[in-house]
Amino acid sequence: MEAIKNALDFSDFPRVDMFVAGAVSIGLIVFPIFPHSSFAMATMIQFLMFSLYGMGWNTIGGYGGQVDLGKAQYVGIGAYTTAVMLIRWDIPFWFSMPIGVCLSVGWSFIIGYPLFRLKGHYFAIATIATSLVLKDLFEVWDFVGAARGLEISPIKYPPPDFMRLIFREDIYYFYVILFFFFIGILYINWFRKSRLGFQLRSIKDNEDVARSLGINVHWAKIKTYAIATAFVSMVGSFHACYIKSIEPEDTMSLDISILIALMAMLGGAGSLWGPIIGAGILIPLKSYLKEWLGAQAGLVGIDLILYAIIIMLISAFEPRGVWGIVEKLRRRKRN
Amino acid sequence: MAFLEVHNLTKVFGGLRANNNISFALEQDELVGLIGPNGAGKTTLFNCISGLHTSTSGRIIFDGEDITALKAHEVARHGLGRTFQVYVAAGDLTVLENVMVGCFMRTRFRSRAKANAIEILKNMAIEDLSDYLVNELPVAAQKRVTMATAIGSGPKLLLLDEVAAGLNPSEIEGIMASIKHIHEQMGITVILIEHVMELVMKVSHRLIVLDYGEKIAEGDPETISKSPLVIKAYLGERYAREHKEGLAKD
Repeated sequence: MEAIKNALDFSDFPRVDMFVAGAVSIGLIVFPIFPHSSFAMATMIQFLMFSLYGMGWNTIGGYGGQVDLGKAQYVGIGAYTTAVMLIRWDIPFWFSMPIGVCLSVGWSFIIGYPLFRLKGHYFAIATIATSLVLKDLFEVWDFVGAARGLEISPIKYPPPDFMRLIFREDIYYFYVILFFFFIGILYINWFRKSRLGFQLRSIKDNEDVARSLGINVHWAKIKTYAIATAFVSMVGSFHACYIKSIEPEDTMSLDISILIALMAMLGGAGSLWGPIIGAGILIPLKSYLKEWLGAQAGLVGIDLILYAIIIMLISAFEPRGVWGIVEKLRRRKRN
Repeated sequence: MAFLEVHNLTKVFGGLRANNNISFALEQDELVGLIGPNGAGKTTLFNCISGLHTSTSGRIIFDGEDITALKAHEVARHGLGRTFQVYVAAGDLTVLENVMVGCFMRTRFRSRAKANAIEILKNMAIEDLSDYLVNELPVAAQKRVTMATAIGSGPKLLLLDEVAAGLNPSEIEGIMASIKHIHEQMGITVILIEHVMELVMKVSHRLIVLDYGEKIAEGDPETISKSPLVIKAYLGERYAREHKEGLAKD
């Protein structure tokens, strides 16, 4: 009961935040009613997906301060579970998605247990390595289509198919992911106020002190890593149904891991709104830059240059991202 | 059986014996000072007792249970709290949130942790600071927040590591009052490491003196301040001269 109350309670945010958040929520809900290009719609869905990836990453990376650069492996596990189950056994999305989450979380325990013995940069590097190894395995594993990947053919299932999440129009996908998005926000709102949330912030600050306050540091990290994983795997499953064609290269590559971490860091790691702000800035920028510059002038890779610049700016000026700047200005005004 | 018993505790770092064969015991409701020159092994002793270091040999018995091999978070759950010498408190958490981290050790519920934290802040007379970020506060207030955080975890025994370091005389008075309050009103047994002699001599019932990793003396403050061994190792001739009469009067 108290958990639900805490999840719905945003009263510790200033009124301005609530107003903006409300306006954005309404904007998102009514967005499909207004005339829009299919490109804008696709960008919007990407924005919601990456917000969710970012929210997941933010639990362990933001609140817990453990920079995880291997989230793509869980996108892959989620996406592949859903795709394989649908293609081979005709198991619909709403069943395969939770199974995918279970598999991802199971895998996260297996690699989380040894990985969290490492700290700082070593941990970050190890997460990259595990993710890349898994990708390489999938590239040679025939059961999941090896490097060719898997194709969900929509002809077999007459859309709209809500159980299998096969639709012809993007608007359906938009509302499904928007639903996940709101649930995600409520979950994180509960999380940041929960015991685990407090324990993580203490761990981020000083692990010895956290231990002296009775916190099992290793276990708290593993638990949170599993939560982050569940978020990512869920959206990965959605990704499979939405894109309908998955291959190791575009679900499990290092780019995706970095992009997920970057969203949250740009917006503000360790804050509720951070990942959403980050995705809101980066995703439109990325899609439109690619569309305008990349395709036309042959400037492929300009988005990568952009990421590099953003990483440098964040680390040099404001480690807490856009939200860090907002909070700093607020404190200055108050004092 | 005493409340805390340390038997022949030894901690070796490479070739350095940071703690060598230290034994002492302590009853509930005592307030014991741990003194000695820098590098004598005081903080190492705290780390061994609180489980952050695994002792090389020896046994530690707390409240009837052998805690020698337990990990730090398990020791904490047995009711042994501590503060840290250098560390102050989580800077990007408010004072209230810091204390809540401690309180969350005993409850899963946010409402209970919060109520408990507010009560502790009131008890420590710092409730008006509760919404500040810790790094916005002066050092003396930060030290109180660390103590409040440790108290939040509901300890029966509290190890305070140099809470008065770097404070001015009037702030030391304040901290001294807080320590007495914790000990007398809250009924928590306290061991404190301290270099500020005015404080440690006044509040402690008993002193334990370490030098080069060994226990060189133990006794009430008056005896210790006269002990030639302690004067030579730590207090110095000047301290002994200046405080001879003052202490005799107490």
